[in-house]
Amino acid sequence: MIWVTRDERLWFLRALAQGLSDYLGAAEPPIPVEQLLKHPPAAYNEDFGVVDMYSNLWDATFARPPSQRGSIFVRIDLPPDERRYALARETLSAVITSRQGRAMGLPEMLMPNMSESAEYFAQHLTAPQALLEAYRSRGGDEKNFAPTFRIPSQVAGRRWGEL
Amino acid sequence: MSMHALNQLVARSIIDPGVVQAFSAGKIGEILAEFDFGEELRRWLSSLEATTWAEYAVIAFRAVKAAEVPAVRIQLPSPAEGLLINRSRPEEEQVA
Repeated sequence: MIWVTRDERLWFLRALAQGLSDYLGAAEPPIPVEQLLKHPPAAYNEDFGVVDMYSNLWDATFARPPSQRGSIFVRIDLPPDERRYALARETLSAVITSRQGRAMGLPEMLMPNMSESAEYFAQHLTAPQALLEAYRSRGGDEKNFAPTFRIPSQVAGRRWGEL
Repeated sequence: MSMHALNQLVARSIIDPGVVQAFSAGKIGEILAEFDFGEELRRWLSSLEATTWAEYAVIAFRAVKAAEVPAVRIQLPSPAEGLLINRSRPEEEQVA
């Protein structure tokens, strides 16, 4: 594997997130992340799923039982905004460990910085650049960004700060 | 424009296995033809070799980025400068 800079990795993650948001074809926020997981692109039929769970340990985590479909196990009592973001974050694990993700060579590039990569990917999946630019061109401000895109305010702050 | 095309190509690769299959089969040029790359850059990207698609994408990113940086203009004094008889340089003034 070649040496990849952080900027290059983040660019790659933005492009991957764009691919999934393009697939959804959302014209306005919020991005229906759960719909993506329940009706995934054909390449991920065996990799995307959502299972509600009762837990105090995790907000969400991806798991792939041997020889079974992978699923994101998400706490049933999460507020909707936190649930959307947690699902988006764990989607990267589902992608990386899928047959398609392995064929792309994603584990080699993204596993070493998985935590940061997943957070960054989720920020861009839940607030794609095109929708964010449209929001701003209509006069949208930082204050209403989180409620408009229905993402946690801390996440919104980081995403807005990237502009 | 080429970076936009590359973004679209990588974005498509996450949902379309055909992109990675073409890359693995050494036929990425056929996919590149569907995107708005310049002719020379497309030929170069077609000839790139990498172990994985992700690696290819990063090498392509470097190539496209380099191609989009405008050439540095070297600032040389004008040849006409030596013909200006009445103009003296600051260092010449200090000599006297």
